[in-house]
Amino acid sequence: MRGLITKDFLLIFKRKQTLIIFAVLALVMGFAMDGTFIIGYLTMLTAIVSISTISYDEFENGFSFLMTLPVSRKTYVIEKYLFCSFMGFAGWCVSVVIYMIGKLIKQIPVGLIDELPMLFAILPVMLVFTSAIIPLQLKFGVEKSRIAIFAIYGGMALVVFLASKLLSKSSIDVSELVTGLNALSPALVLMLFLILWLAVTAVSYLISVKIMEKKEF
Amino acid sequence: MVIVDQLTKNYGDFHLDVSFEIPDGTVSGIVGKNGAGKSTTIKAVLGLIRPDSGHVAINGKDVSKLTGAEKESIGVALSDSGFSGYLNIEDVICILKNMYSSFDEPYFRKCCASQKLPLKKQIKEFSTGMKAKLRVLVAISHKAELLVMDEPTAGLDIEARNEILDLLRQYLTENEHCSIIITSHISSDLEGLCDDIYLIHDGKILIHEDTDSILGKYAVLKMDAPTFESLDKTYILRAKKELFGYACFTNERQFYAENYPNIVIESGSIDDLILMMTGGK
Repeated sequence: MRGLITKDFLLIFKRKQTLIIFAVLALVMGFAMDGTFIIGYLTMLTAIVSISTISYDEFENGFSFLMTLPVSRKTYVIEKYLFCSFMGFAGWCVSVVIYMIGKLIKQIPVGLIDELPMLFAILPVMLVFTSAIIPLQLKFGVEKSRIAIFAIYGGMALVVFLASKLLSKSSIDVSELVTGLNALSPALVLMLFLILWLAVTAVSYLISVKIMEKKEF
Repeated sequence: MVIVDQLTKNYGDFHLDVSFEIPDGTVSGIVGKNGAGKSTTIKAVLGLIRPDSGHVAINGKDVSKLTGAEKESIGVALSDSGFSGYLNIEDVICILKNMYSSFDEPYFRKCCASQKLPLKKQIKEFSTGMKAKLRVLVAISHKAELLVMDEPTAGLDIEARNEILDLLRQYLTENEHCSIIITSHISSDLEGLCDDIYLIHDGKILIHEDTDSILGKYAVLKMDAPTFESLDKTYILRAKKELFGYACFTNERQFYAENYPNIVIESGSIDDLILMMTGGK
């Protein structure tokens, strides 16, 4: 496991130039924009960059050699989830710090308690996104997984569209539903997110392990 | 150490069906033409592909069930796969240190220096020979008891090939109990290294013989057509029509040397073995 994590860190830091551009962009956006865009941008970006280590592993038939190293296929999957989640979380921490510094420089009062739910909201999104992409990358590889991701986004858009159509035709009052959700306490929302994340990660992990164990190199 | 028991694997028209055993301290070569099944066999030994039937065991344990710690005793060099080309040797050292508890860093650095491998250059910028040397050095860097080498010398010039074979010979001298499975289609590479040779053709093992026997007992006999007609063919494995008459492959060189003083006898080599056994009629 340690060897795999070392490999992934080394691979990521090989892209120094790209990382520097991303960091500069993040800083510029962090200080230029008032909103929390920077939080979502940097968190998702670091998660995506970490997931791209799978394509590095796959590049030039690298998986064959990787699987002869003293790691099981299951360990490889666990490492990817840990690494991508950790990197996404690290990106989130950095983005929060930039966001706060930006506010301090501009002397905008920081209402930490009010802003916490907004700051935290991106974390489950990033983790669910990571859980959705890892099995796709493992199953389809870099090229085909892009098509799969588009198909999933398309599918999700279709589901949302159909759901909204259905809701508008049915007697359910959507605005009442939204008000009801807003009334929930932040702790409960956080708990719901946590349960959702754990469930999605567990299912995604099991699928990924199955994909890797079936895979031939 | 390695037991391959009635292993079968089908890819469309190709059907692999092999059984063999590599005892401790043995260097076994697998030779055959391109597409004969050498790499498929190696991949099955390493658990990279799932057999359709049969099984592969390393140190008595099914290869698909080997734990990470158990895989530490296996060193692997594949012909078409290695560490990412974006890494350099310093990165590889860092990874190996965290990957293998018995990684011998001073030895690895010493070998890299003696093979003139640059430590800070990206692997993708290495020449074919440098990449091949690095793959072998990685395999022998952590005191592995079993080395599995798939075409470690493919695509290299004679000097680079000899350097790689010397690395392996030196490793064997220092690690007497080490076993090696090595494939090659440049079989002359294997003559000075392997204890025994498996000849694979169309997914099946045609011959399993000690290297010394192949070099000592096997021979190519060359003769004209009338001599061929009158020849006792009991020990002729394959005969091939040539421009001058016939070339026959035998595993009883002495018999023909004593009884047919007029025919030309050329010492057998593994290349002859492949050519005659997979191409003759």
